[in-house]
Parts: sequence; C-alpha cells; structure tokens
Amino acid sequence: MTTPVTAFSKGLASCHVCLKLAPVEQHYCPRCGEALHARKPDSLQRTMALLITASILYVPANILPIMIHDQLGTSEPSTILGGVILLIELGSIPVALVIFIASVMVPLGKLFTMFYLCWSLRHGPPGSERQRTVMYRITEFIGKWSMVDVFVVAILVALVQLGGLIAFRPGAAALAFAGVVIVTMIAAESFDPRLMWDMSAKNRNNHD
Amino acid sequence: MTDMTPAISSKHRFSAVWIIPLLAALIGIWMVIHTLMNEGPTITIEFHTAEGLEAGKTKVRLLDVDIGLVEEVTLKHDLSGVVAKVKLTLQAKPLLREDTRFWVVRARVGAGSVSGLGTILSGAYIEMSPGESETRKLAYIGLELPPVTPVGAPGLRLQVFSDRAGSLSTGDAVLFRGYEVGRVEAVSFDTDQRKVRFDIFIDAPFDQLVSSNSRFWDSSGIHINASASGLDVKMGSLDTILLGGMAFDRPPALPEGEPATNGDVFNLYQSYDDILQNPYRHGTYFVVSFKQSLRGLNPGAPVEYRGIRIGRVERIMTKEIARQGVTGRGDPIPVLLYIEPGRIDIPDTQVAVQQMQAMIETGVSRGLRATLQTGSLITGQQLIYIDYFEDVEPAEVSTFANHIEIPTIETGIGRLETQVGSFLEKLNTLPLNQTVANANSTIRSAQETLESVNRLLNNQGIQNLPTELTATLADLQQTLDGFSQGGAMYQDLRSSMRLLESTIENLEALSNQLSANPNALIFPTRIQEDPQPEANR
Repeated sequence: MTTPVTAFSKGLASCHVCLKLAPVEQHYCPRCGEALHARKPDSLQRTMALLITASILYVPANILPIMIHDQLGTSEPSTILGGVILLIELGSIPVALVIFIASVMVPLGKLFTMFYLCWSLRHGPPGSERQRTVMYRITEFIGKWSMVDVFVVAILVALVQLGGLIAFRPGAAALAFAGVVIVTMIAAESFDPRLMWDMSAKNRNNHD
Repeated sequence: MTDMTPAISSKHRFSAVWIIPLLAALIGIWMVIHTLMNEGPTITIEFHTAEGLEAGKTKVRLLDVDIGLVEEVTLKHDLSGVVAKVKLTLQAKPLLREDTRFWVVRARVGAGSVSGLGTILSGAYIEMSPGESETRKLAYIGLELPPVTPVGAPGLRLQVFSDRAGSLSTGDAVLFRGYEVGRVEAVSFDTDQRKVRFDIFIDAPFDQLVSSNSRFWDSSGIHINASASGLDVKMGSLDTILLGGMAFDRPPALPEGEPATNGDVFNLYQSYDDILQNPYRHGTYFVVSFKQSLRGLNPGAPVEYRGIRIGRVERIMTKEIARQGVTGRGDPIPVLLYIEPGRIDIPDTQVAVQQMQAMIETGVSRGLRATLQTGSLITGQQLIYIDYFEDVEPAEVSTFANHIEIPTIETGIGRLETQVGSFLEKLNTLPLNQTVANANSTIRSAQETLESVNRLLNNQGIQNLPTELTATLADLQQTLDGFSQGGAMYQDLRSSMRLLESTIENLEALSNQLSANPNALIFPTRIQEDPQPEANR
C-alpha cells in the first residue's frame, strides 16, 4: 500500500470558509483572508468537551419536566419519557415511536457514536476508517432531527394558550434538551473526520 | 514533515473549550445541591379512604398555596384505611407540630354550606391546618371532615349533652339572643351516659357570656304552643329553622354565676320554655311509695313542701317493681321524685344537694312525710305534698333503687275515713234528747190548733150555709126565665129590633145617594142610560 497523496502532505491547507487550497505557510487564505489551518484546530478536545457538556445536559433534560400542562388551575408536569409512556397508554404508538426515536434514541445514539469516533482516533481498529466516516456522516445528518421534541413544545406553547382553562408552559428540560441537541451538533461540526485518515496513515508509516 | 509538529504539540495545549462542560457540570451540581437543600420533610397521613387522592398529583395546600405533593398512596396493613406519603416543601417544615391537622378537600354539599366546588375540576387536595404545639411529628391521622374551628382560635370549648340529637349537626350555629357566637364542632354519642354529646366552640369575645348559670337549648325549628292563652309561636333565625342551631342564655330567675371554663359540661334543653320550667342544674332523686291509687299523678306533677314547689314527679317506677318481683301482697308503688334545691333559694350546687339530702334524712325522724294530695278536684290531678306531720308512726329513711326513700302517710280515702270518724264523733256529742223534746211540744201545740179548727167547722150556722145558698140560686133562675124564647118580654124585644133594622136600611140608601150625588138634596135625580155595545171604529 502506498501512502495516498494528500493536500496536507504537500503542505497545503483548505480554507474553512471558501475551501481554497493554499499553502499553510501563508497563514491566511489568499482569497478571503480567513486563518488557514491544516486541520480543524483542537478538534478532538473541542469535540470531547462539547460531548461531555451534552452528556451533563442530557441528565436534567430527562429528569426535569419538559412541558407543564396547566388545566383549570392544576399544573401537570410531564417529562420526555413520561410523555412517551402516556402516548403508549393512550394508544398513539406511532407518535410515541416518533418522539421516542427523535428525543431519546437519536441524541443518545449521537452521543455514543461521537464518543466512539473520538476514542477510535487513537484506539480504533485499523482499516475501519471508511465505515467510521459513514457513521460520522449519518450522525451529522440526523443530528438536527432530534430537535423534534423542542419544536413540539414550542408549537404547543405558542398555540394552546386558552387563558386559565388550558395552557402549556415549557419546562426546564426543554432548555436542557435544546442544549443537548445544539451542543452535539456543534460537537459533530467541530470533529474533523480527516483526523481518522491522518491516524491510519501515521500508523501505516510507523508500521512501514 | 516539519509541518506536522504544530499539529501534534497543539494536542497538549489545554483548550478554552473545556470551560463549557465545566460550567455545565457546575450548574448541574449546584442544581442537585439546591434541590437537596430545599428537600422538605416526608410525612405520612392516614385516611379512611383514598377517594380523590392520587400519587404524584394530589397537592397539599395551606391557604391555597402548594406546600407538598402526595408521593404514594398505600393501603394500611389491616386494610382499615390508606396511608398517603407526602413530600412537603422546606417552608412547611416548621408547621409540622403535634396538633397539625390534615384533611382532604373535596366537593361537599351540605345543608348549610357548599364547599370545595373547585375540586370537582381540579381534583381533591389535602388542606393543612398548622399546629402550635411544641412537639414535632411526622405521622398524622387525617380528619374525615374539615375542622370547624382553626387550631389556636381564641374561645371556649364546651360539652353539651342532650337526650336527642334533634336536627343539630356539625357546623351548626350557637346563638346568643339570635346572634351567632359559636358553632357545633362535633356531634358524638356518649354510650356511657346514653346521651348525645355536642362539642361546641364559642368565639373569643363571646366566651364571657357563658357562665355556670347559662342554659343551652335547641333553637332549631319552630315551636308552636296552643293553649288557653292563645297560640304561641317561637322561632329562631331562618338559619336555625332550616339547619338547626343551639342557643344559650341565662334564665332571668338565676344570678350571674361563675364564668365558664374550657370543658364545662351543660345540658341541652328541648326549648326555652323547658328552661323556664326547669332552670336548675342540680337536683337529686327521691323515692316515695304509696299504697293508694296513683290515678292523676302524672310525670311532671309538682312536689310541694308546705305549698312551695320544690321539685317534680319524674315517673312512676313501674319497671323497678317488675324487676323486684311482685309479691302479690299489694306492695306499695314507688314514685321517683326529682327535687331541686335551687327552687327554694338554696344555692344551685352539688353541695347544696347533698345538704338537702342530709336535711331530709334527719327530717324523717321528726315526722317529715310525703303524702298524695289532690291538686285539682275537677281534673283529679294529684301532687306530692311533703310536710312535717304530728302523730305519725316513727319511720326510717330507706333506699329504693339507690335513691333515698321518704316514708309516706296515707291520705285521700284513708284520710277521708278519719275525717268521717271525727265528724261522727262530733255528731255523738250533739244534745239530741233536748231537741227531740222541743220538737214534741211543737207537734203537740200544732195538734191543738187543728182541733180548734175542727170545732169551728162543726158549728150550726156553718152547717146551714149550703141550704141558704141553694134557695138564692132558685130565685135567680126564676128571674132569668122571663127572658126565655117563649116569654112576652122576648117578643116585644124582637119586634122592636126588626123595626130598627128596616129604618137603618132606608137610611143607608139615602146616604149612598147623597154621597154619589150631593146635590140630590136640591135638584131632582137624573137616571143614567144603559150603555150600548159599539163596533170598532
């Protein structure tokens, strides 16, 4: 196996904004003036930090009520999982499934995938780079869909405001959950998948 | 490959991005600590039923502020109720005292009030009434009904006993001259006394109105009394008519009395008139036994001492006779009397009652006896009359059915016999012989008078009187005979009469003509033509 020729090996870096390939020595993009980096700076650290933040936020997002339902003076808080269970009890299994996938499975899956990707940079099995890149792509794509729950809350709060009769209020978990989604999206964004290839190339060089 | 160096060294640099998870973690930890710090106490409350209680939903409220949440509702081990585990907020912690009370607020529709309607939609909640005791507590027994009076409200708690519950129930008003000064807190039945017990509460400024001489009566409904003096209708406020109520006052006959203290016991009278008739609190029972007929001796009949009323007849103790066994020898019938010392201006206290008992016991040896007297000859009402009698057989105080028995002496028919006896004795002493002798002489003189009358009648002159009378009558007959039909005198009279009759007829014709034609005296009479029939024109 020959080492593939990369822009990085030629001392070139792609601009983050306009994607122009320019020599790293220039420090600034000759076209748009953006600072040039061979790879995203502190990618692993940032990703890890954001993932940990998301993990912390995920706890209150599930424990605290995401939505408070005021009906005739009685306020009834409901958590994400409580809402899912309620929907199953009411027989709306498809809706329950959607919310469960969007609000529980996707954020959790994303967190685990990202942690795995970060971990695999150092300890990952060699030769699985392509597979891991696919994982990364899926994670990046699916990330925004986990905002469904936050949207549901936002729409209900905006629409159902019948004075003292029935009203919905967002709970503290809505904020935390939105935080989880946003932080994981930023984490996915700050992760540089090229590092995987760099690592495998380095490993190969070491072996050679 | 020199370009690799900065990339590798950068990995060892500590990125500022780590502040974000650190911040998140700090906030998280702070939240956890805050929650733990604000963790309120968990208490248990027992209820009879879990109606309306829902784990995780039912709130605990104080003055409509949420101070806790029911976390769990479980059955008691012996299935006699439920236990609600309640998590309270930290601010409720100092309110948990020994006398803190909890009850479930549900929609209640009673005769007097409708409450908790809000709970129909929002669901029941547990209301708390904070306590004031020094000791703390974490396990409570919930009330079934909301307490009528809050803990620590200033006022007076009293017990009122009654034979009947009437229409009084928890929450009913206690009135003083028509103004609500308190309310009935609880109604229960005292099985020992076999009486209904009302726990009442008199609000603070009005507790001074209650004294040892206060009397309570049931002012519910309308009292109508028809008597010879007219129709008497008594009623309280509209509230008490519809819902019932209790009133109290001091009967005018009684002095002010001592101020009442917490826990004092009173009796409930059925009406105000009842109080006027029996305004005394203390009294005692006595028994008197009679061999006479008790017809006309009704319960409530007066017991008098020298004409002063000192009590009443409670009842004729027929039950006790049956219990003791009838001996078949005409045993005397015991009568239960209730004597109140207050009636004769002895202080109305228990001590006075005992003094009176002692007085009666010593009195019996000096001739104190009870008798049965007729109060009204028309209706035959009887009363018990107690007095000191002389010349009575010595007797001793005995007891009957745990009551002091006052010995009796017979009256009525028994007494009548002695009176008849004494009357006959007086009759014996009358001077009958002399009277009879007088009567004899009177009769003799009467006889003499009659004899002289007889002699007068036998005289000759009087004997001839009828013959002379007959002769006179015959002469009279003769004279009258001249006027009979065939007599000459009669014929003359008859012809004269006829002549007179024809003369009068002529005179009549003349007078008729003159009245029709007054000028006939001067002008000749014209004879009128007969009328002729004519045809219709």
